[in-house]
This record gives sequence, C-alpha cells and structure tokens, in this order.
Amino acid sequence: MAEPVVARKIYLRAYAALLGLTLATTLLAFLDMGRFNTIVALVIAVIQASLIAGVFMQALYESALVRVILGGGVLWFLILITLTMTDYLTRSR
Amino acid sequence: MAGMWIFLVTEIMMFGALFMAYAVYRLGHPLAFAAASRDMNIVLGSINTAILITSSLTMALAAAAAQEGGLRPAKWLLAATILIGAVFLAIKFVEYYLHYRDHQVPGFWFETNLPDPGGVQMFYVFYFIMTGLHAIHMIVGIGLLAALLIMTECGRFSRVYHSPVVVTGLYWGFVDIVWIFLFAIFYLPGLHLHG
Repeated sequence: MAEPVVARKIYLRAYAALLGLTLATTLLAFLDMGRFNTIVALVIAVIQASLIAGVFMQALYESALVRVILGGGVLWFLILITLTMTDYLTRSR
Repeated sequence: MAGMWIFLVTEIMMFGALFMAYAVYRLGHPLAFAAASRDMNIVLGSINTAILITSSLTMALAAAAAQEGGLRPAKWLLAATILIGAVFLAIKFVEYYLHYRDHQVPGFWFETNLPDPGGVQMFYVFYFIMTGLHAIHMIVGIGLLAALLIMTECGRFSRVYHSPVVVTGLYWGFVDIVWIFLFAIFYLPGLHLHG
C-alpha cells in the first residue's frame, strides 16, 4: 500500500490554522451575538474537523471508496439531525 | 485503511446520537444550558483543545515517518503523542475533580443556585457522558499507541508494512474531531454571559 506522504509544511500550516481557529472561536464566544454564537461556534468546529480529517487523516488523498464511506457517515448523521430538527424547531411553544 | 474508516463511521453514529440528544435538551432548556456552560473552566478547556490538536500533529507526523520507513522519528513521535495525550487526560481529570468538589455531578449530591436546576443537571449529564466516553477513547488510543511503540521498537514496521501506525492515526484524529465539537457545545455557549 503506497499512500502519498503529505509534505511536512502542509501539516504545520494545518496545525497553525487549527490553533488560530481555536483562539478565534474562544474569543468570538465572549461576544453576545444571539443565535449566531451557536452558528459561529459550529461553523468553526466544522472547519477544524475538516482540516483534521483532510490533512492529518489524509482523507483528501484517499481513494474514492474511502470518500464514499466517509460521505455516507456524514450524510446519515445529517439525516438524523435534519429530520429530528424538522420536529423540534417547528413546534409551537 | 477502508476498514478503519468504516469503524469510524460507526463511531460517528454513536457520538452522533449523543450530539442529537444534547441538541434536543438544549432546545428545551436554552437558558439553563447557557448558564451551566458559564461554570465550565474555559482556560483548562481551551488549553486542552490546543494540547489535543498538538497530539494530532505529532500522530500525523508519526504516521508519515512510518510510511517513509523512518522508524526512529516515528518512535519519538509516537512517544510524544502518548505523553501529550496523557497530559490532556490529566487536565480533564482535574476538571472532573473540580466539578465533583463543586457538587456539579448529577445525582444526590448535585447542587446549583441557577434557575431551572433540572435543565442544569441535564447539561451535566450530557457533559459527563460525552466527555467521559471521549476520555475512554483517549485511554484506548494511548493503549494502542503504547503497543505501536513496542512494535516499532521491535522493528516490526518498515516502508512496506506500516498500516497499524497509519490506521491508529486515523482513530486518533477522529477522537480529536469529537473533542473539537465537545469544546464547542460545552465550553463556548456560556462565555458571552461573563461580560
């Protein structure tokens, strides 16, 4: 199995970005942005997760099979969230 | 490789159900969850996030070194990953102790002055179950890394055979991703109330 080895420089850039985003999400959370607090925190978390999966776990360089497996997992999770939220977010209070 | 990804997808299902349940309860008790989150230790939490990201870097570098057949750097990077992972767990357990001391563990001893004590208690139920499950994954990961370290020391890996290192790297990266989201949903929601 000959996986392509990513250049060390790319790992270090991803690492710097991950630390920067951790600092950013922590500082942004101190601002009162109403419902956008949650949205901003989750968007930054998704970006960080993508960096870890894509670069550190080399998902970007994987075969189509692995991409389908990963995509399937994420898709099923989104179905879980979306269908449940169609209920809980639309209830009259 | 694909096998480990399939396993990780089953892990997404397991943690995903917990995230889903958390979201439902947070929608039911938004103020209690924000107020409870304010009592999280953001200094320890954010430092631990940076620590775990650092361990993901050393793990990724260890896998890359193993792929190139560089067993010496791989060995040191694996050892560094174990050490940094252990520091994460140590800080996590300090946090658990502080919650225990402050009567924030759900159950008979639970105490809070916040409104909606039931909602606050549910926040801590999710906090302990989800970070606890994450900590168990970390302990398993450290065990796997220790086995890899011994195997590397015994010269079991080479440029041709190194899959165990790469596959464990996938697992370690996944555990880091879970923590990124745990940090976002437990530590961040109450910060704006400090102002």
